[in-house]
Amino acid sequence: MDKTISDLMPIFRDVLEDDTIQLSESSTARDVPGWDSLNHIYIVVAIEKRFKVKFKSTQIQAWQCVGDILKDLNENP
Amino acid sequence: MLFNSLTFLVFLPVVFFLYWMSPKRRSEWQNSVLLLASYVFYGWWDWRFLLLLAGSTLLDYFAGIGLDRNTDPGKRRLWLWGTVALNLVVLGLFKYFNFFVDSATRLLESLGYHPAPWALNLILPVGISFYTFHGLSYVIDIYFGRIRPTRDPLVYGVFVAYFPLLVAGPIERATHLLPKLAKPRVFEYPMAVDGFRLMAWGFFKKLVIADTLAVEVNEIFNNFTDFRGGTLMIGVVYFAIQVYCDFSGYTDIARGVSRLLGIEVLENFRTPYLSRSIPEFWSRWHISLSSWLNDYVFTPLAIEFRDRGRHGIMAAVLITFLLSGLWHGPAWHFVIWGALHGLFYLPSIYRKKGLRSLSVRKDAPLSFQDTPAILQTFILVCLGYVFFRATSIQHALDYLAHFSSEPFSFDTFHIRSSLNMLILVSFGIDFLQRRGYFTGRYGSGFLLAEALAISFATALYGNFGSVEFIYFQF
Repeated sequence: MDKTISDLMPIFRDVLEDDTIQLSESSTARDVPGWDSLNHIYIVVAIEKRFKVKFKSTQIQAWQCVGDILKDLNENP
Repeated sequence: MLFNSLTFLVFLPVVFFLYWMSPKRRSEWQNSVLLLASYVFYGWWDWRFLLLLAGSTLLDYFAGIGLDRNTDPGKRRLWLWGTVALNLVVLGLFKYFNFFVDSATRLLESLGYHPAPWALNLILPVGISFYTFHGLSYVIDIYFGRIRPTRDPLVYGVFVAYFPLLVAGPIERATHLLPKLAKPRVFEYPMAVDGFRLMAWGFFKKLVIADTLAVEVNEIFNNFTDFRGGTLMIGVVYFAIQVYCDFSGYTDIARGVSRLLGIEVLENFRTPYLSRSIPEFWSRWHISLSSWLNDYVFTPLAIEFRDRGRHGIMAAVLITFLLSGLWHGPAWHFVIWGALHGLFYLPSIYRKKGLRSLSVRKDAPLSFQDTPAILQTFILVCLGYVFFRATSIQHALDYLAHFSSEPFSFDTFHIRSSLNMLILVSFGIDFLQRRGYFTGRYGSGFLLAEALAISFATALYGNFGSVEFIYFQF
């Protein structure tokens, strides 16, 4: 089954230590307080661990919004 | 051509007039004027370097188109890495070749070999690190689909060579500047006045504060054995203010000139000496370089090392800071300066909790309780500056060792109240800026009067020897 925003939300809230975070597919790092380059890496690691996937480095670097993460997550076998 | 030269005083009004006279086809006209002006501005140092600038521009322009046309991942990788490698080879040849040969020779000598001395007699082209980074970010952003390449060579030519930013930044991004250059610009009086005001402050910082402090700093660093420890410590603080006023003064002039031409460029400084931690300092000092290194060095490395957890991130931070040091100059004392900042940065990563609070706190308002943290950060930054300003690692170590000689006494001749007043003025400007006193508060008439008053003060107290800006050497 396809992963959705609600699957990603707990990961963002946990890594960024903020239970009020709300995401949409168009959310970018600018829209989410605390989502800087350092925390981005922790978010990637947490997503890979939670969904047991391994992204390519080039995939991660091409992400520009939450929707891009979901797209790659759902395309992963 | 230097901003603080009589030639520029004639050059700028001519460019301003030609740029805004704009007949039909305004965008093409404005960009043609900017390209011609930028090449004249750059060629004023040495016309031969124009070939290098033009070559670098063409390389990245066609690489952008090549990347866009190819859908095959292998060919795209080839375009990317081929272009990145060529850019770095040119930069390496002009800036780092002799440094690496010299370092290798010394290493071999220490192992008992004696290779024949060998060096290339090349002059370092001004601003090469800055415009190479413009081109690199453009090509990398196209590869990752963050931008589409421009098909207009005139627009791309201006993006790389835009004279206010050409020799010492701010390092612009294609995503930010290209769309502005693709549209005709319309003259706005309030923006032009604000540009004039920024320029006035920039010249004040450079000619009154930085160049006055430079005399004392040079004297103290060049003859440090003649001075007491207290004076040497003050010498580092003077240098901290000098380098800040020199570089942020340059940036203010660059941003001011750009506003006169109707183009807003990236911010480069946000009251860095009022930072409460080293990570906060790097989000406020030379922001355009820090964010460039963050996006194109730290992030790819950290992604690559992510399976190693915090240690992987720490390695990425250290490598990024080492490269930042090397970017500043082909010398080991700059590398040590970078390494020190990398080490100062690490504790904030090693903390298990509080990562979010770290990044959010960078933007939190200042309070009186922050004073110890601000002082601690400033002291660490100053410690790094000893290596930055010294001419070699040995010079820096000797300078530091001399701190212990009468650390609480000063050579009063070199610690004058007028200099201390300048430091207070520079912190005052920063404090007011941080509290938002300069943004959208006053009308154009007030800003014009402010600019004229500051220009008058600069004319009275400035140093007019056309001293180069420190960051030109990088």
